[in-house]
Amino acid sequence: MNLDLLQAAAAKNAWGAILPELLLGLLALFLLILEILLPKKRHGAIPAIAILGQIAILVGTLVNLRSGYLGTETFGGLLQHDMHGQFMRVFFLLTSILVSILGVPSLAKQQVPRVEFFHIVIVVTGAMMLLVQSHHFVMLFVALETVTIGFYILVSYFRSNPLSLEAGLKYLVMGALSSSLLLFGIVFLYGVVGNPELSLPGAASTAMDFTSIRQFLEAHPDNFLAKVGIVLVLAGIAFKIGAVPFQIWIPDVYQGAPTPVTALLAVGSKAAGFAVLLALTGVFAPYRTLVVPVLSVMAGATILFGNLAALTQYNVKRLIGLSGVSHAGYLLVGVVAAYHDPMAVGAVYFYLLVYLIASFAVFGVMTYVCGENDADQELEHYADLAKANPFLAVVLAIGLGSLAGIPPLAGFIGKLLVFVAAFHAGLYVLLGIAIVGVVISIYYYFGWIKAAVFPFWSGRRTAEGVSQACPRLQVGLLFKLVLGGLTIATVILGVYQGGLIPWLAAR
Amino acid sequence: MAPLLFYLLSALVLGTALLVVTSKNAVNSAMFFLISLLGTAGLFVLLDAFLLAAVLVLVYAGAVVALFLFIIMLLGMKGGERQPLSNSAVLASVVAAAILAIGVLSFVKHGQIAASVPDASAPAAGAVLKFYSAQLFTTYLLPVQVVGFLLLIAMLGVIVLSKRFEDMEKSK
Repeated sequence: MNLDLLQAAAAKNAWGAILPELLLGLLALFLLILEILLPKKRHGAIPAIAILGQIAILVGTLVNLRSGYLGTETFGGLLQHDMHGQFMRVFFLLTSILVSILGVPSLAKQQVPRVEFFHIVIVVTGAMMLLVQSHHFVMLFVALETVTIGFYILVSYFRSNPLSLEAGLKYLVMGALSSSLLLFGIVFLYGVVGNPELSLPGAASTAMDFTSIRQFLEAHPDNFLAKVGIVLVLAGIAFKIGAVPFQIWIPDVYQGAPTPVTALLAVGSKAAGFAVLLALTGVFAPYRTLVVPVLSVMAGATILFGNLAALTQYNVKRLIGLSGVSHAGYLLVGVVAAYHDPMAVGAVYFYLLVYLIASFAVFGVMTYVCGENDADQELEHYADLAKANPFLAVVLAIGLGSLAGIPPLAGFIGKLLVFVAAFHAGLYVLLGIAIVGVVISIYYYFGWIKAAVFPFWSGRRTAEGVSQACPRLQVGLLFKLVLGGLTIATVILGVYQGGLIPWLAAR
Repeated sequence: MAPLLFYLLSALVLGTALLVVTSKNAVNSAMFFLISLLGTAGLFVLLDAFLLAAVLVLVYAGAVVALFLFIIMLLGMKGGERQPLSNSAVLASVVAAAILAIGVLSFVKHGQIAASVPDASAPAAGAVLKFYSAQLFTTYLLPVQVVGFLLLIAMLGVIVLSKRFEDMEKSK
C-alpha cells in the first residue's frame, strides 16, 4: 500500500465537518465513563451533564451555522453539507435535548438503568444527523441502522412492562422488514448503475453515490430494474415515517414505548425519514412519472387512514400515534409538491419544526399525567387536569390546537404553507383530501381538550377518583419553564415567523 | 462444468431451504439452513466472489447458525405437533406466491438483464480481501466508525434488556 493513496484518503476525511456528531459521540462515551468513575450517590448528576452537554453542542452548532464546509462534499462523497443539513442538525439536537428532559422524570419512576438511556438517545441523535447529510447509500444505510437498532432498545426499555417488551418485539420485526426492503431497493439501484454495459462513459467509480445515481437515471429514463429499486427504497422509508400501507406498527409501538421514546419516534424518526425523502427528490427527479403517483396515493391514504383511525381511540398514546400518521400524510403532500416546485421543501421543513414544538408540549404533559404505568393512559385520566394543574391544561390545549392547525397557532401556518405549495403544484385532489383530514382531526383533538378541561367546569366528575386511578408527578420548575417556552414558541411562530420561511425555502 | 455446478448448487440451496420450512424438528431445520448457506457460498465462488463466500461461511454458517442451535437446545424445543393451516393462512400464501410469480415473470420480461462480459480489469469490491479492506479503511472509514457505535449500543441494549435491575431503588 503506497503512502500517497492513504494520504489522499486521509485528506478527504474532513473530520471537522462532522464536529457536532463527533462531539455527541464523545459525550455519549463520557457518560458511560462517568458512571464508572462517580460514586453511586453522585449518579444523579449524569442526566444533567448529558442535557448540558447537548445544549453546549447545540449552541456551538448555531454559532457555526455558516461553517466553511457548506456546499461541499466530504469523506469522498459520503456526506454532503448544505443549509438544510444544518437546519436538521439543530432540529435533532433540539429533539434529543427535549427527549432527555422528558426522560428524567419518566425514568425516575422505573427500576431501570438510567445512564444507558441518555447514551443511546445521544448516539441515535448523532446517527440521525449523519443520516440526513449522507450523500451515498452506504452511509445512509449504516446511519439508518444505527438509528433503528437504538430504537429497538429504547422502545423496550421499560422491560418490566409487558406492553413495552411487546412493542419492542413488534418494532424489531417491522424494522427488520423495512430495512431489508430498503436494502433490496439499494441493491437494485446499485446493480443497474454499476452495470458496466449500462453505465455512462466516465461515470463516477462508485455506483451508490447520489450524484452518479441521478446521472444514470437521467440517461436511462425507463429502466425497469431502476423502477423496482426506487419503489423499494420509497417503501423502506415509508415504514420509518409510518405512511400507509406501512403504518401497521404505529399504534402498538407508540403505546408500549416509554413516553420520551414515543416522542423521539414521533418527531425524530419521522423527521429523519422526511429529510431523506427530500434529499432523494433530487436523485429520483428523472423518474417523476413513477414517484409522484406512488407518493400521491400514499399521501392521500395516509391522511384518511390516520384521521379516521384516530377518531375511535381512547388511549392517548395510540391517539397521538395515529394522528402522527395523518401528519406524515400532510408532510407527504409537501414532498409530492417538492417534485413540482422546489419551494415546497421549505414548507415541509417549517412544518417539521412546528410539529416538533407542539408535539413536545403534548408529550411533556403526557409524561406528567399518569407516570407509573404510562402505556395505559386514557382520555379519562385527564378529567381533573384543568383543576389539578391549570398550567399543564393550557400547555396541552395550545399544543393540541397547534397540531390541529387552529389559527393563530404555529400549526396553522405550517399547514397553510404546505397547502399553498400543493396548490401551486396543482395537486387539487390531494389538497381536498388534506382539508377533509384536517376537519376530521379537529374532532379528536378537541375531544382530548374537552376531556382535560370540561369535566372540571361542568362539575360532573370528582377529581379525587381520577387522581387515585392515575398518580400524578410533581412538575419541576425547569420542566415548567421548558413547557412554557414551547407553548410561547407555538404562539409566536403562529403570528410572526421572521425570516425563517424564506431562509428555509432558499436552496 | 460451471453451468452444471450452478444447477447442482441451486438445487441444493432450494431443496434444503424447503426442508428448513417443512421439517418438524427445529434442530434439523437449523442444520438444513446451514447446508443451504454452504450452497449459497458455493454459488458465490462460481461468481469469483471468494471473499463473500468466505464471509458467508464464517459469519452465517459459523456464527449465526451455531447461535440458533445454542438457543434451540437451551430452550429445549422439540418441535412438537404442527398446527394445521387455517384457511386465511392458505389464502395468504396463495396470494403471496402469486405476487412472487408475477414479480419474477415481469423481471424476466422487462429486466433487460443481459449476460455481461466479466470485467477482469476492475475486480468487484467483494472479490479480493486486499481491495475490500483497503476500501474499508480509506473510502468507507466513516461508516466503519459509525458501525462501531452501532455495536456499542447493541451491546448496551443486551445488558439493559437482559439484566435484572430489581434491586435498583427508585430515585426520588
